[in-house]
Amino acid sequence: MIDVSDLSVGYGAGAIIEHISLHAGKNLSVGIIGPNGSGKTTLLKAISNILEPYSGTVQIDGEDITSISARNLAQTMGVVPQETAISFDYSVSDIVMMGRHSYIGRFSSESPEDRRIAQAAMETCNITQFADRSVNEISGGERQRVIIARAIAQEPKILLLDEATSHLDINHQIEILNLIHNLEGVVKIGVYHDLNLAAQYCDHLILLNHGAICADGSPAEVLTAGNLKEHYSINAVVTINPVSKKPRITSFFECHDNCSSPKKIHIISGGGSGSELMHALCACGHSLSAGILATNDSDYAAAVSLEIPVIALPAFAPISKEKTEELKRAVHEADCVVLAGMPCGDDNLVNITLLSDLVDTPVYVLGKCSDFTTGGNLQTVFDTFQEGIVPVDTMQELFPYIDR
Amino acid sequence: MKPKNVLVLTTLCILSVISIFISICMGPTSVPLAAILPFLPHEGTIDATAQMIVFDVRLPRILAAFLVGCGLAVAGAAMQGLFKNSMADPYIIGTSSGGALGAAIAIVIFGGLFLPVFAFIGATGATFLVYIVSTKKGRAPVETLLLSGIALSMFFSSILSFLMYNAGKSLHQIMFWLMGGFWNVGWPDVYTGVLILVGCVIIVAFSRDLNILSLGEDDAFSLGVNVEQLKKILLFLSAFIAGIAVSIAGAIGFIGLITPHIIRLIVGPDHRILIPTSFLAGGLFLLWADNLTRTFFNDMPVGIITAFVGAPFFMYLLRMRMKA
Repeated sequence: MIDVSDLSVGYGAGAIIEHISLHAGKNLSVGIIGPNGSGKTTLLKAISNILEPYSGTVQIDGEDITSISARNLAQTMGVVPQETAISFDYSVSDIVMMGRHSYIGRFSSESPEDRRIAQAAMETCNITQFADRSVNEISGGERQRVIIARAIAQEPKILLLDEATSHLDINHQIEILNLIHNLEGVVKIGVYHDLNLAAQYCDHLILLNHGAICADGSPAEVLTAGNLKEHYSINAVVTINPVSKKPRITSFFECHDNCSSPKKIHIISGGGSGSELMHALCACGHSLSAGILATNDSDYAAAVSLEIPVIALPAFAPISKEKTEELKRAVHEADCVVLAGMPCGDDNLVNITLLSDLVDTPVYVLGKCSDFTTGGNLQTVFDTFQEGIVPVDTMQELFPYIDR
Repeated sequence: MKPKNVLVLTTLCILSVISIFISICMGPTSVPLAAILPFLPHEGTIDATAQMIVFDVRLPRILAAFLVGCGLAVAGAAMQGLFKNSMADPYIIGTSSGGALGAAIAIVIFGGLFLPVFAFIGATGATFLVYIVSTKKGRAPVETLLLSGIALSMFFSSILSFLMYNAGKSLHQIMFWLMGGFWNVGWPDVYTGVLILVGCVIIVAFSRDLNILSLGEDDAFSLGVNVEQLKKILLFLSAFIAGIAVSIAGAIGFIGLITPHIIRLIVGPDHRILIPTSFLAGGLFLLWADNLTRTFFNDMPVGIITAFVGAPFFMYLLRMRMKA
């Protein structure tokens, strides 16, 4: 349907984007993401033929876009800009009818067919109730629906969206994106600000940075903690939205990699007790390891999304000799071990007993471990530790110890 | 078309016809219509003097004033659409200062010979110059057009001031021309004025494109408007119309600014109706301003009246809009 190959484009001076290639087929929804200034809008402008490429081509069904007349292009491609300032008081129905411009001859006026299509577009976007109102009297969300209706009235095969919903409230964002997503037989290419919305509504994502494609694939392939850290300079946790099964980005930590002395820290946790700690220590630039964790534990998901090496085993499986050895190696290599207060039973007690022979490696216990062992002798286990334990209540209390 | 707009257009048509007939009667000496129109019942014979006054003096002047008003209003509406700015007028891209400079050169250097030609060349030449200065790689951003229009106007004004400073006896003539009027208008001016009509008809053919262009260039492009070509056509037509208007009557201000503005308040922003109605309203406005001056004010420059009436009315409208 639409093919971009080796495209370089800019605004007169140097190229803003260079050597970009992408392809979008029928019915696909492609999202362009990337930090501010990465060239997202520039790419969209080149695809819509507003900017002329320095080199490379944009083709629609094999035809070069620069050789298509403005009129024919408007019948193939609709554009929804970020925001449209309309200086004069046109009515909503006037604006939607402008979508039919390319179908109406210079000396004729709109046909009943044009009126029918414009009416249908207004119904799709649920704006018929303000058809006769001025576009400047309605709210931003309503106005954006008008602009989308205008684009739909063009009967395009391709719809370009430039952060079409970024100025709107979440309810309007969802409403409009659902509406666009449900348009059939239309290729949608959109620039997205909000990564979660991009993940939810796109089949394919393209991550731009410094005018080049840095990642290209399904939302799960592109929205990884590593990519977010590298290109957005954030520490993010990527989990899977349990409802939509799409990646979900949460808990953004500021990235300060200026930690004076990065340490190797092993974290023993369970039942979600270590997730926050992992994010916080990761954000400080420490190098972490974690385990032993069951793969259904949310701490496991956190460790994976932070790209922390983790000793894992299937849920409810007994801890094998092999895993115990692995854990032993990890704690011996670490500068310190943090035990994040977790429920302890007979099955996972080995995580703790193993620490008893550590010498020169402090063990911090963050919060309380609830004791579910037979006999309730967790404290006795702690007492066998060569170095003893350092109990801390909060993460703030813990950090000075680690930096020591 | 909405019924209301049909009504407005019809009313303006009727008013125009009636106004032209009333204008024939108005003047320092009033001439009853019956005296000149043979088919009307009247007493006595047809007055030959009255007929001469009407056909050789008043009628060409009336038609010229009407056509110039029409042209300025249509060019103003087109420029307001093009610049997405209701403060734009046909002179915004250097037309009036270019025309004035051309006229002043004709007066000072050639003693007034070929003055209309010089004014026309000055007016359209200024627009071309502005367009060329603002164009890069075939694109002329409207902001650049606007700014270079202002800069060029300033530049031409300074040359004009220099000419006026050195004009000596002909200063008076330049001043009169600058204020604008229809003193020496004859039938040849009316024939030239018909070109205004042609220009306006072509602009009407582009009125749907103008509607879309007023949403912004990128939007217009994605809706299928060949934006750069349209800008070129509109600038050329507008400069052409304003150039002819200036060559006939001098730099008459305010009609091109205020008429489309008032009409937009009545019929809305759709150029398909805005341009024809502005055409008639502009003609009516200038016709009546000229009637006033030649009947009651000893034929003072009509530009004084248009600004004197137009400016306060415009401010009133602005206040009204602020309240609304």
